[in-house]
Amino acid sequence: MASKEPDHQHREGEDTPAAEDEDTGAQVAPIVKLEEVAVSTGEENEEPILDLKSKLYRFDKDGNQWKERGAGTVKLLKHKETGKVRLVMRQSKTLKICANHLVLPSMTVQEHAGNDKSCLWHASDFADGELKDELFCIRFASVENCKTFMEMFQEVAESQKPKEENKDASAAAGLLEKLSVEEKKAEDKAEEEKPAAVKEENEAKKDEEKAGAEKKDGESDSST
Amino acid sequence: MALPNQQTVDYPSFKLVIVGDGGTGKTTFVKRHLTGEFEKKYEPTIGVEVHPLDFFTNCGKIRFYCWDTAGQEKFGGLRDGYYIHGQCAIIMFDVTARLTYKNVPTWHRDLCRVCENIPIVLCGNKVDVKNRQVKAKQVTFHRKKNLQYYEISAKSNYNFEKPFLYLARKLAGDANLHFVESPALAPPEVHIDLAAQQQHEAELAAAASQPLPDDDDDAFE
Repeated sequence: MASKEPDHQHREGEDTPAAEDEDTGAQVAPIVKLEEVAVSTGEENEEPILDLKSKLYRFDKDGNQWKERGAGTVKLLKHKETGKVRLVMRQSKTLKICANHLVLPSMTVQEHAGNDKSCLWHASDFADGELKDELFCIRFASVENCKTFMEMFQEVAESQKPKEENKDASAAAGLLEKLSVEEKKAEDKAEEEKPAAVKEENEAKKDEEKAGAEKKDGESDSST
Repeated sequence: MALPNQQTVDYPSFKLVIVGDGGTGKTTFVKRHLTGEFEKKYEPTIGVEVHPLDFFTNCGKIRFYCWDTAGQEKFGGLRDGYYIHGQCAIIMFDVTARLTYKNVPTWHRDLCRVCENIPIVLCGNKVDVKNRQVKAKQVTFHRKKNLQYYEISAKSNYNFEKPFLYLARKLAGDANLHFVESPALAPPEVHIDLAAQQQHEAELAAAASQPLPDDDDDAFE
């Protein structure tokens, strides 16, 4: 059971009473009679192509600041028949919807300047059952998860482009190129990371070699 | 119970009264549930603010009309109108401020004078703070008065759904009631023209440099 958050556990472990869900409340008469109903997630005809724990923020334009929207699971859901993909995020525990929008070819996702586990995009969001323009930022537990999300998001956006490119579309593509400078920067950064990872590996090898050498030294010491 | 000017709904709704000393986090807790945000700034509530809060359960949708009351009015006492027809209640205190726990009996007495035999949850808020003044073991009031007790944190979301779940179960007399995934309706098709797209890109570029509010915490459920 994931009823305890790790955060709380390590701070409050000793103080938490043993039976936390023990009912100490008075017996009160119920005031409504509710029948079990059939429930639908609305996701029955879709396949999740991505499913990651994350924290979502929305940009408050008036206050010029990011505000939390919810913490839970973000999914990219691909419709089994139409092939359309949407992003759905639900708050954990209450399972309420924090975001619900289609991933469109016009969308680009970019890194957050100050947090490499976060990225942002614009969407017409339908979480509350009415379309609302939102700037979203999402934060993951790791840089890797963020990269996975960004790559998948961008790939999906590309794949949603209509097959036949007409004049308008190519004109749009030209403009898009101009607009996606930010995104390229992000890609460049990602590429920079690769050599870094290789470097780390090399260093690790060197360390191993060193350790080996030390061991040899040790052996030669003992032998003398 | 809806206010006269408030829309009524065709599913079960309940008047939930939230009381407790000023600064214990009543408004922050309600806001957290309404929008997801965590408000750090303290702006005392004046009088009362009523917010409808919906939950999806295996027994359908339900609504709490949250009467978020002004804790600062404790000295004068809340007007009976805030309590009247209350069907359930939350009494909030702050585990980092002993006095707010000491005042719980007063809030309980005032509440029970108007609302008899309603399910009540006592919430010790801010348990994410390291230096607590009220330890879990020291919280005993709920046992004497037959209340349910939860340690919560509006900041970390620890147990943040429990008070509502408990109240819903009591109001429906169904211990197995639980929250379910609300239906994610198909979003309608939208066409974004280039002008709008350019504007969005500009907005994104500006927002990308604004810091996130809780960069420091890395707790993911």
